[in-house]
Amino acid sequence: MIYIIDHKDSFTHNVIHQFAKFDHVECDNFDKINIKKIGKAKVIVFSPGPGAPKDYPLSSKIYKKFKGKKKIVGICLGFQQILYSEKAKIVEQSKIYHGFQSKIKVISNNSLFKKNKKFMVGSYHSLKLKEPFYAKNFEITMRCAISNVAMAVENNIDKIYGFQFHPESFLTKNGNLLIKKILST
Amino acid sequence: MTRKDYLQTISKSKKPFIIYKSEKGFDLYTNFSKKIILTKNNIHNFVNKIDKKSKNKKTDLYIGFFGYEILNNLIGVKLPRQKGHNFPKGIFYKPETIIGLKKELKYENTNFDNLNDKFKINISKKSYNKIFKKFKKKIKLGQTYQIKICTKYKNKSKIDPIDFFCRLAKTNLAPEAFLVKDRNFSIISCSPENLITKKGSNISTKPIAGTLKKTKRLNKYKALNFFNKNKKETKEHNMIVDMERSDLSKICETGTVKIFKEKIVEEYKDLYHYVSLIGGKLKEDISNLDIIKAMMPGGSVIGCPKISTLQLLNAQEKESRNIYTGSFGYIKFNGDMRFNIIIRSILNYKNFSEISVASGVVVDSNSNHEFNENYIKAKALMDLYK
Repeated sequence: MIYIIDHKDSFTHNVIHQFAKFDHVECDNFDKINIKKIGKAKVIVFSPGPGAPKDYPLSSKIYKKFKGKKKIVGICLGFQQILYSEKAKIVEQSKIYHGFQSKIKVISNNSLFKKNKKFMVGSYHSLKLKEPFYAKNFEITMRCAISNVAMAVENNIDKIYGFQFHPESFLTKNGNLLIKKILST
Repeated sequence: MTRKDYLQTISKSKKPFIIYKSEKGFDLYTNFSKKIILTKNNIHNFVNKIDKKSKNKKTDLYIGFFGYEILNNLIGVKLPRQKGHNFPKGIFYKPETIIGLKKELKYENTNFDNLNDKFKINISKKSYNKIFKKFKKKIKLGQTYQIKICTKYKNKSKIDPIDFFCRLAKTNLAPEAFLVKDRNFSIISCSPENLITKKGSNISTKPIAGTLKKTKRLNKYKALNFFNKNKKETKEHNMIVDMERSDLSKICETGTVKIFKEKIVEEYKDLYHYVSLIGGKLKEDISNLDIIKAMMPGGSVIGCPKISTLQLLNAQEKESRNIYTGSFGYIKFNGDMRFNIIIRSILNYKNFSEISVASGVVVDSNSNHEFNENYIKAKALMDLYK
C-alpha cells in the first residue's frame, strides 16, 4: 500500500491516480495522519502543496520517523520537505515557473535513470533548494536544462526519491514510467 | 400564450421565471411549484434528497444557483463577516413548465425607462495596486500560484431584466447564458463557462483561461497562435488544466480522467477563448453532493491551489461576492446535472445592481493591465445601462 500525505494541494488527486496505477493508495491530510495506515504502507509520498516545508513540521516528523524504514517519495513541496528535513535551506528563486513546461536532464551516473537523458516536465514551484547541499547518501540527479536548478534527488541506500517537478502533470511526458521505476526499485 | 410573444406575456404576468441557454436556443422555466432558499443547514438535505422516483418528465429537475459563500461553507473554508445586502446564499426552483425559445429572442418594452445612477467601483486603482503587490509576494513565497482578485461595480438602478438579457444575447450569445427573474431580484448573465456536465456516470468540465478580443486582423488560427506563444496565458491555462484534472480525480475512477480537448480556441461573437475539455467516469459510490464539493467553486475563477487561495481571498475581500463565482444550473431527478460558473453577470437586488469581475494575479502579471482588463469586462455589462 502507498500512503500519500496531502498538503491540501489542488494537484494531489492527480498524484493519487498516478500512484494508484501501481498499487493500492490511501491518502490523508497532513494534519490527520492515520498511524495504523502509515504503519502498513510500503511507500510514503509527500504531496505538493502551498507554502514552504517549515509550515509543515508534522510532515518533517513523519519523514524522520520513517526514513530508512520505508520508501519515501516527495513531489514539489514534498521534495523540499525531504531536503529541509535533511537540513537543507529552501529559498525563493528569482524566476518562477508556475505551469511551465521545461526540459530537465539526468546528470548523475548513480541515478535510476540514464545519464544525459532528457525529460519534458511540468513544474509549479516558487521555492528551490539552496546549494551547495550535502547530506549523507543523497545526490542531486536531475537539473533544469535552462536554470540549472535541482529537479530531482535520490538516495538509493535509504530509498528516498524527490522530484521538484510534477510527474503527475499533463505537462510531464512519460511521468508514469518515472513513478513505475522508483516504485519497482 | 403563443411562443412568439412569450417574453412579453411573461413580463406582464410578473411570474418568476428562468431562461437558460440550450443547444438550439433557450429554455424558459416557469410555474414554479417549489422554491428552496438554501442555508448552511439545509443544503446537504436538499441536494441529497432530490426525488429520484419520477424521472421521465422534462420538468423533473431543480434549477437555480449556489452563491460563493455557501460553496465555501460546503467545503469547510471559513469566511469572515462581510458586507452585503443579505442576498440569499442560493435558491433552487421546481418548474412545472418548460418552453423552448429560439436563439433570436424577441422582446420590446416601450413603457419602461431604465433608471440608474453612475457606477461606482469598490476598490480604487491605488488600493488594487496594493492588494496586487501583496499577493505577488505571496506567490513568491509559494502560498498561492495564481489568485483572482474580485472588484465590484455598483449602482442604484431600476431595470427591465428581460430587455437587458435580450440585448446581451444579441451581442454575446454565450453558451452558459441565463436569466433569473424573481420578485425582488434578477440575475442577467452571459457566462461562457461550463463547470459540470454530468450525464449518467460521465462527467466533464470545460475551463476557460485566456480571452482575446476579436479584431479584423485576427482569425481562429492566429488566435491559437497568440495563446500558444504567450507564455503567461499558457502557464495560467496549464495550471487550471492540472487543477481540474485533480478535482475530477477526486470523484472519478482511477485512470479515467482524460483531457479530451487540450488548449483549443473557441470563437464567439466578440472574442476568442482559450479552452480545454476534461472529463472522466464517476466512481460508483459518488453522490451529486460529492461532485459539487469536489468541483465548486470552479477553480479557474478562484486560483490555485484552491483551498489556500480561497483562504487568502476571504481574508482580503471585505464585501460578499454573493452570486459571483458561484454556480448556476440544474439537477435532474435522474441525477444528471449541468452547472456553469457565474461570471459576467449582473445581480439586481432591491434596485441595486452589482457587477463583479476578476482577473488573475500570477507572478508575471501587471497590476495596471489587470485593473483595466477588469474594467473592460465590466464595461460590456455596464453599457447595457445606457
